[in-house]
Amino acid sequence: MSDRKLKIAHLYPEVLNLYGDRGNILCLKKRLEWRGIDCEVTEVKLGDNQSLSDFDIFFIGGGQDFEQEVLLNDLRSGKGDSIRSAVEGGKVFLCICGGYQMMGHYYQTKEGEKLPFLGVVDYHTIGGDVRMIGNYAFRLPTESGGSDVVGFENHSGRTYLGEGVKPLGTVLAGYGNNGEDKTEGVRYKNLFGSYSHGPILPKNPAFADHLIKTALKERYGSDELESLPDTYENEAHDYVLDKVLRGDMSGD
Amino acid sequence: MNGHNPVKTFFAVAACRLTRWGLRVAHRGGTTLPGRSALLFDKKILEVVSSGMEIIVVTGTNGKTTTCSMLRNALQESGVDPLSNISGANLLTGITAEFTALATLSGKPKKHFAIVECDEGALKKVVPLIHPKVIVVTNLFRDQLDRYGEVMHTLEEIRTGVGLVPDTTLCLNADCSLTSSLANGVPNKVFYYGIGPDAVDQKNTDESNDLSDAKYCINCGTEYEYDYHTYQHLGGFRCPKCGYKRAATNIEVSSINKISPKGSDITVRFQDENQDITIGLPALYNIYNGIAAIGAYEAAGWKRSDITQSLGKVASSFGRMETFTYNNVDIQMILVKNPAGCNQSLSYLSSMENDYVAVFCLNDKTADGHDISWIWDADFEKVANDKNCKKIYVSGTRATDIRLRLKYAGADESIISLVEDENELLKAMTSHSLPVFALPNYTSMLSLRAVVGAATGKKEFWKDQK
Ligand SMILES: [Zn+2]
Repeated sequence: MSDRKLKIAHLYPEVLNLYGDRGNILCLKKRLEWRGIDCEVTEVKLGDNQSLSDFDIFFIGGGQDFEQEVLLNDLRSGKGDSIRSAVEGGKVFLCICGGYQMMGHYYQTKEGEKLPFLGVVDYHTIGGDVRMIGNYAFRLPTESGGSDVVGFENHSGRTYLGEGVKPLGTVLAGYGNNGEDKTEGVRYKNLFGSYSHGPILPKNPAFADHLIKTALKERYGSDELESLPDTYENEAHDYVLDKVLRGDMSGD
Repeated sequence: MNGHNPVKTFFAVAACRLTRWGLRVAHRGGTTLPGRSALLFDKKILEVVSSGMEIIVVTGTNGKTTTCSMLRNALQESGVDPLSNISGANLLTGITAEFTALATLSGKPKKHFAIVECDEGALKKVVPLIHPKVIVVTNLFRDQLDRYGEVMHTLEEIRTGVGLVPDTTLCLNADCSLTSSLANGVPNKVFYYGIGPDAVDQKNTDESNDLSDAKYCINCGTEYEYDYHTYQHLGGFRCPKCGYKRAATNIEVSSINKISPKGSDITVRFQDENQDITIGLPALYNIYNGIAAIGAYEAAGWKRSDITQSLGKVASSFGRMETFTYNNVDIQMILVKNPAGCNQSLSYLSSMENDYVAVFCLNDKTADGHDISWIWDADFEKVANDKNCKKIYVSGTRATDIRLRLKYAGADESIISLVEDENELLKAMTSHSLPVFALPNYTSMLSLRAVVGAATGKKEFWKDQK
């Protein structure tokens, strides 16, 4: 099966690169390489106008507030439409933190100002005073692989999903989308949105492989994927899961 | 001082001394409790007990502790013993404790000079009370994001602090676009230092440059252009749109003549002369610390030769390149707490010409920052793929995370061992007859330092101070 190859687009790596996000790309790359599947990572930066139609997996991370304006201008200049059609076409998207918020309709600041976002999926985010910070865990439904995901969240925006929009998972411990309704992230077609950085993929190998399988199925019609020895991954995962389920949200 | 109540002062000083004495009798190196008990009696005790002193404050993400120890060392070499605080006590309570403990019961300071390391967030509470002569800001990088939010927020915290002391001279790193923006619109005198264009390779584009903490102009959002980089976002930046650029420096490193594991030889351009200076600590970031210390000394108007002559003799400070020998094995301990500092340390290890053992300890306690995701922003590949790295140990509450990071960095899994207990770790890491480099983060450094220090007969840190 060594003739398989997946193409990954890292969107805005120069501005959206907080909290170890690049670990997600590294994780996908290594887990493909270890299975003899070719992998090509392309950085798509501000002002790049290349076609997005030939990529299999898109990654978009979180950023600092200061940098988001630069970004919104670039999205409005046409890249937003390409992203929208890639999502509708069933491409795999992993959107974290700011990148997740950006796929919704808008972000309303504490002062009441509305920043219009892409509106690819029906949800919106409202800025708050309370920062939701800490290790946390959520459970994926079977359609997303059914595993328990651990991560670290750090956001003051509260995200509310529209009518009928499915969350990525159900919060086991921590805040999730808004600290109120136990939802975390979003799942729309093959777009996976989450507040979890940390980064999310290395410590959650089942979820990482679910993304890979989804992308393989889209391109090759088959999601056959050999398993890997994930001892290090699972021990790091179980340590955090155990800790948050015990209610120990800090490290002291 | 006007408006201060001598009775309150008396009780505050007494409470502080008593708490400190009690902790020492109990053999505990408590650093903030004495300050808290002093503050209980007098909220502004720090203003009383620092009155009339000449003080240099050092803040910024990286290099605070080393710059402070360079300054302290220079004063000590010249025969003056300054007051100074230690790295774990750089908030208002810890700084209050240091000053209060060294005052008379009527609140008069017993020392004239002080070198104060101050946390970026605590600056605004500390400086209006101690009225420093000089505030040095070393640099701004991402650090402990879950505690301060984002790097821009940290910068604004510093800006607020600076705004409260218009008579203080600012000593700023001209190579850091974030730091040097502190000079914008303030009445303070500003003294700039940096590393000049001819000191580094003009083609030096740091490989981590994609992960820059300041890629866009702080005034107008345009991407900076660079004449040269030193590391990360530091270097000769300029904004093509609004013209904001690296300021002309008052002093700078005009050439780096030699870098070795023992230290660096540099030439410094002053306004009136050039001088060759040796810095007794290795790596580029210690050249930055050295030039920051010289800058602070100049800005304070203190005697130049004290600092320039003492830099060659500066000893490694607590856990920052501190060295130990155990069973004939050399151990060098290097504190790492964020990607920028970690990358510099990893480069240092990979520059070794002989085989070595690497030890990584990672805790996620409050003092470390609960969020350890920064390990994915640091280039562990440099050591993971270094053929001279023969063995790797991981430890700390998040040992499994650092081990996972090393796996994805390409390390050979068969050379990695996880050892939880520090006593076991000390035995294991020195069992190979190879030099050991231990890279712990803050609280894991404290516990490893205690074990290694005890085994090698080095004092506990708080006992070192007085
Ligand atoms: Zn500009």
